[in-house]
Amino acid sequence: MHRGTVHALVGENGAGKSTLMKILYGMQKPDEGTITVDGARVSFNSPGDAIDRGIGMVHQHFMLADNLTVLENVVLGSEKLHGIGSAARRKIRQISQQYGLGIRPDALVEELGVADRQRVEILKVLYRGARILILDEPTAVLVPQEVDALFANLRELKAEGLTVIFISHKLGEVLSVADEITVIRRGTTVGTADPASTTPRQLAELMVGAELPTPETRESTVTDVPMLQVQGLSLAESRQVTVPETSEPQLPTSDTLEEPGVPVGRMLLDGISITIHKGEILGIAGVEGNGQTELIETLMGMRNPDTGAITLDGVDITHAHTRKRREDGIGYIPEDRHRHGLLLESPLWENRILGHVTEPPNSRRGLLDPKAARRDTLRIVREYDVRTPGIDVTAASLSGGNQQKLIVGREMSHHPKLLIAAHPTRGVDVGAQAQIWDQIREARREGLAVLLISADLDELIGLSDTLRVMYRGRLVADADPATITPEELGSAMTGAATGHLEHPQHPEDGEAR
Amino acid sequence: MRKFDKDRLLLGLAGPVLALAVAFVLTSVVLLASDRDPIEPFRLMFDAASFSDVQVLIINQTGTYYLAALAVAVGFRMNLFNIGVDGQYRLAAMVAALIGAAVELPGPLHIALIVIVAMLVGAFWAGIAGILKTTRGVSEVVSTIMLNAIATSLIAWLILPSNFGEQPPGSNDLTTGDIPESGWFPALEVTGGEIYGFTFVAFALGFVYWFVLNRTRFGFDLRATGASSTAAQASGVDAKKMVLTAMLISGAVAGLAGMPTLLGDTHTYSFNFPVGVGFTGITIALLGRNSPVGIFFAALLVSFLDKTSADLDQHGYEKEIATIMQGLIVIAVVVSYELVRQYGLRRQQRKVGEELAAGHALKTAKEAAK
Repeated sequence: MHRGTVHALVGENGAGKSTLMKILYGMQKPDEGTITVDGARVSFNSPGDAIDRGIGMVHQHFMLADNLTVLENVVLGSEKLHGIGSAARRKIRQISQQYGLGIRPDALVEELGVADRQRVEILKVLYRGARILILDEPTAVLVPQEVDALFANLRELKAEGLTVIFISHKLGEVLSVADEITVIRRGTTVGTADPASTTPRQLAELMVGAELPTPETRESTVTDVPMLQVQGLSLAESRQVTVPETSEPQLPTSDTLEEPGVPVGRMLLDGISITIHKGEILGIAGVEGNGQTELIETLMGMRNPDTGAITLDGVDITHAHTRKRREDGIGYIPEDRHRHGLLLESPLWENRILGHVTEPPNSRRGLLDPKAARRDTLRIVREYDVRTPGIDVTAASLSGGNQQKLIVGREMSHHPKLLIAAHPTRGVDVGAQAQIWDQIREARREGLAVLLISADLDELIGLSDTLRVMYRGRLVADADPATITPEELGSAMTGAATGHLEHPQHPEDGEAR
Repeated sequence: MRKFDKDRLLLGLAGPVLALAVAFVLTSVVLLASDRDPIEPFRLMFDAASFSDVQVLIINQTGTYYLAALAVAVGFRMNLFNIGVDGQYRLAAMVAALIGAAVELPGPLHIALIVIVAMLVGAFWAGIAGILKTTRGVSEVVSTIMLNAIATSLIAWLILPSNFGEQPPGSNDLTTGDIPESGWFPALEVTGGEIYGFTFVAFALGFVYWFVLNRTRFGFDLRATGASSTAAQASGVDAKKMVLTAMLISGAVAGLAGMPTLLGDTHTYSFNFPVGVGFTGITIALLGRNSPVGIFFAALLVSFLDKTSADLDQHGYEKEIATIMQGLIVIAVVVSYELVRQYGLRRQQRKVGEELAAGHALKTAKEAAK
């Protein structure tokens, strides 16, 4: 990476971007290899060492104290540099002016919008003397106007001779701001790209690898009986966004609900309409953070949609409780099994009850039936190949794959009408992966409707009957899994292609919706 | 799988034993630091406990503490910290005493009325905190502490002779008037005194507590919420309803905590009515790990410290030694339980790995097919 450049690092989820950054920032130690800063070999034992070498990091999740002012947040931990009084305030003003950040040192952080907070984070790093800035997915939380303003800031930094390392998987943004691009996949660099001569599609190919999956031939089990119908589902983020002062007034985009004088809320879900038939697997592709989580949580009743209707098997469940939806036949394989799928410190048989406490065999007339629940847990362990010495051990003591098999077994045991499967094979070894796929396929044959969300494009293409692409809270494209390639899907995921994805296709044509 | 059960039992005992040992040693250190005999006070306390009248006092106290601790434990099981048990208990006892003194009914009905009023008042007072939390997001810790203070003032105002209280002739105390004998709970005569009848109700409630938590859907939801609020929500638990229900139950049980004393001993609420019971309940619930059996022994221990330390003054020791020890127990409990918990989790993870490596997994269909 060269002085005075913006260097982008792109790769899929789990490709190793974050690990690399943690090493550069001294949070993790490498097994092998060297880091050279300004011609000197360095090794970092802590973020403190990295800061001493002029490397600063702006995390994806801001680390600011809401109830303190900008000034207090900036000096916190670096009181020795310029004190905590007027000298520090002068320094902050000076940095802010130098790089066009437009920060008021005495504003309370809780009164700032997300974009302002991000600039405070950047200023914090600059205040500590950083010459190399690492930005971890800085645009994930911003609306388009804010993204433009951030890029203007980055150009200022670059002009002053600073180096910016920019992590993102939004390829359009990367191409517009980066001077150099490094692509990593499965923990290794697979190539570099020159943004001037690269298209998002080529970049996506580099990211996901060129190898084509072999979508297996199989008979279609799709019926014409709709199981889940979602009509015009919308959900706005309940937060305040202030459009930064530096940005030019822009026409409102459809990404935001914008009215004069009303705070701008990012649309998490924007007019989602889907229909899943009995025996159909509908796969949703998308870069993480584009609304998939919100869609699932809205379907599960953990969030209330602002507009729209959800119908399950002909019954309106738009405002039904989560429990009611589960009883009505929605199975749920959550994307974060530790947070949403398991009671880690409870025994397996209690985890078998979780989510289905009102249904047999777990309870009868309000009373639990531990005996039956235990017997059924043993059955799940047997049928779903959960490797455990017993059902009294805590869920935490199983490996991730076995935890997942338990969850899949539990959800399938209640013969759901609709299965919401989010990353069903994430962190699961290859053998278990195939097994989980088989189970989903088998249930599909018996009329199960599945909403599949996955970051694994091969899984999506291999399992789905219908594919949709989600981008910034909207379903922007659809594709036929029989003909689509991961590369084509990948470019649609970054917003580069929309509409119906044909194969062979010209992504440029897709722009005109 | 008995092996894991035994492990769990041993680890379960390790926490309190470790905590008590540490608290005992630290109390001795405090005694040594103040130039006292580090063992003598404990010997005196054990001597005191050999008298049957002290034993009766201990049992009666245990009943009260048991109820207060159950009230706290209901909250703890779903990560709600009801510090307001003390206020709920006092206000409930006071209002129940007022109503009990004001009416005259046949025995069982009279007692039932007093008990129900106490539960309703306790639930109401805790419910305020519950509603504040579910509608406005106010931390129950803060609101229940404040409600304690409000309860104190409210009781002081209600008990004024110009309102509902009475001033017995020749006394500075204010009372709520005496409950007629039909509202007295029958006691068990033993050598050394009377054991309040309500003490047995208290212990029976321990069984109800166990049953509701471990054998009902509601109890499962409550425990799931305590174990992981996110997983519970995803499983279909209505978090707000759960918070409110748990607070109401906790308050109702807190309201019962005053009943052994009111129905069995004082038959009136006055300024001499015991205070701080709710706070001691927190210690006991912590020490007893929210389990009905654990809480029983913890309540017994704390009652023992309370009642046997009363005589220490006569032997030249301050009775506050017991209070110091109680405080040290709380600190030791919190630290040792966390240590034991983490050790237990790690140990089980390792053991499960070993068991699997040794081929002791349950047979699965896939293997059977081989």
